[in-house]
Amino acid sequence: MHGWIGHILRVNLTTEKVSREPLDPGLATDYIGARGLGTKVLFDEVDPKVDPLSPENKLIFAPGPFTGTYAPSGGRYDVVTKGALTGAIAAASSGGTWGPALKYAGYDMVILEGKAAHPVYLWIKDGTAELRDATHLWGKTVPDTTDAVRAETDEDAKVACIGPAGEHQVLFACIMNDMHRAAGRSGVGAVMGSKNLKAIAVVGRGTVTCADNDAFARVVMQVREKILGHPVGGTGLRLYGTDVLVNILNQIGGHPTKNFQDGYFATADKIGGESLSAKVLQRPKGCFACIISCGRVTKVSHTKYAGEGEGPEYETAWGFGSDCGVDDLDAVTKANYYCNEYGLDTITMGATVACAMELYGLGLITRKDTGGLALEFGNAEAMVEATRLTVQGEGFGQKLGLGSYRLAAAYGHPELSMTVKKQEMPAYDPRAIQGIGLNYATANCGAAHVRGYTISPEVLGVPTKVNKDTIEGKPELVITFQNLTAALDASGACLFTTFGIGADELAAMLSALTGVEYSTAEFLKCGDRIWNLERLFNLKAGLTAKDDSLPPRILKEPLKSGASKGRVSRFPEMLPTYYKLRGWDAAGVPTPAKLQALGLVAEPALSGSLT
Amino acid sequence: MKIRYFATLRNVTHKTEEDWAPREATVGDLLRDLVGRYGHEFERWVLENGKLRFAMVFVNGQDVREQQGLDTPLAPDDTVVFIPPMAGG
Repeated sequence: MHGWIGHILRVNLTTEKVSREPLDPGLATDYIGARGLGTKVLFDEVDPKVDPLSPENKLIFAPGPFTGTYAPSGGRYDVVTKGALTGAIAAASSGGTWGPALKYAGYDMVILEGKAAHPVYLWIKDGTAELRDATHLWGKTVPDTTDAVRAETDEDAKVACIGPAGEHQVLFACIMNDMHRAAGRSGVGAVMGSKNLKAIAVVGRGTVTCADNDAFARVVMQVREKILGHPVGGTGLRLYGTDVLVNILNQIGGHPTKNFQDGYFATADKIGGESLSAKVLQRPKGCFACIISCGRVTKVSHTKYAGEGEGPEYETAWGFGSDCGVDDLDAVTKANYYCNEYGLDTITMGATVACAMELYGLGLITRKDTGGLALEFGNAEAMVEATRLTVQGEGFGQKLGLGSYRLAAAYGHPELSMTVKKQEMPAYDPRAIQGIGLNYATANCGAAHVRGYTISPEVLGVPTKVNKDTIEGKPELVITFQNLTAALDASGACLFTTFGIGADELAAMLSALTGVEYSTAEFLKCGDRIWNLERLFNLKAGLTAKDDSLPPRILKEPLKSGASKGRVSRFPEMLPTYYKLRGWDAAGVPTPAKLQALGLVAEPALSGSLT
Repeated sequence: MKIRYFATLRNVTHKTEEDWAPREATVGDLLRDLVGRYGHEFERWVLENGKLRFAMVFVNGQDVREQQGLDTPLAPDDTVVFIPPMAGG
């Protein structure tokens, strides 16, 4: 096999059995890798009704065929599991250098089963793997864990680990690698913590082979030119990072403010990419084989929020900033550092604090509840302290650690949680951008912008400009983006390459690398297959068409100010067409004909209308 | 009329905002005036062969690509925002 290594590592944490298995070439061809292969394994091996935090759930780490090659920005891996936050299928993607290291160590995937009797970490070196005691690491932050594991294994080891948040099974705990990169969403870190697994350290001296070196090199050079020739990938992201989006989304009135009460934040410029570059940026940073370098190495000095690390990204700056009514960049950056050090999803954390602020403003949460914290919109100090309490599991932070859906529900107002499938919506308001709302509602992992980033055409005009306020053609657009993204995620390439290239180039690169002939249509079909398998998992887990929804605020409360004032999401008008174009019935269940076309097995028990 | 710049256009113009003498004009008139003042470094983000290129231009928060493009009329109390092509996640 080329591109793929050809082996899977299976680790049973209960029995401590470690075994090496062959990768089925047919499955590799149909599901490509990373999110795709992980989904296939999860679907085949895990009962979708299991408790995500039980030993019966499995945790799968998988890079893609591009990972570890010189494909531009080809360094990503996915963590696939049943999400602790959502109860739906989760596939959290991360960059850095850990994914390539796993392939150099000889594996396309690591499957973790059961639960260790005490804290352990997995050490993989050049094909051999062993479980080691991690009792002495339990309680350590991400940086301290990384340093300690390297000291015990190999100074060149790449480490993926959880911080204390994952150990305490905070429902939106994440997995961090390379200290500052996150497999962020859906609580994959909580699943890792539930298995008493602290870290996976990897080092390897192997390589990834290529089927046609000349063809691959040619396509790679063409792809590099296209990405670097476009101002987004070539200049913009390196200069300003993703946080540059603050002012863009604010201009169109789609920058969610104060728990989505509005779409325009008057002082947003203070936390945007321009301010970040001027005040806290040390230098840009890229992942393995990255030619874009959107990462930010930052430092906050001379204030009570002093610290250093990486970030904030756009979502993080929004979540701790505009969504909380906070325009203090140092405070936002500090909250970001807390999440990275303790291993928490910054989107859910910021949005949960914002939800708590609204509940506090309504008098439903009091200072007695918060331990004296004045959790008001705009209170930067309170936002940072609320984050600290959550990452360290103290006081009111324990309630915040449930995420906004369960928090709001506990206070009798679940409708004030801006979530889909219990996962917080990211930093684009569906009332101002119709297509992204449809994507949020239908994404299998819960609300997630990266599942079908229609912001590209609807706001940025990449590849071409589409009217953000109309709904005509949006179901088709969303499906195209969702299928392309699923295939891209499975390949191990970074989503940001698609600001310069599309399915044609990705299929050509994959064909040259693997020797498997992927037409553009076949590549997109893989994405469609992955999407439908994720859907089947969710349906069997008990999710229904009712879970394809948006919060009432988004459907009924018009935006109050800004360029999109007066607008609501027209999502309900788009959903029936979306189901139809997906080849699903009116209840959102894939039809037998659709499944057959994708080579999937029909599920008779799921057919027919569901209420 | 207020003109605001973001991202790399702040580097090019060395300004975050400025005033433009109000008169009957279109977005195209404004762009030609700004290109004349700031030169090629400004032009490469906003115009190519006389057509709107790359940058997002908003008049009172409305994207001119969804209005009349370069022919979008401007009024003396308008706010025009230029944002070069950016993206993220």
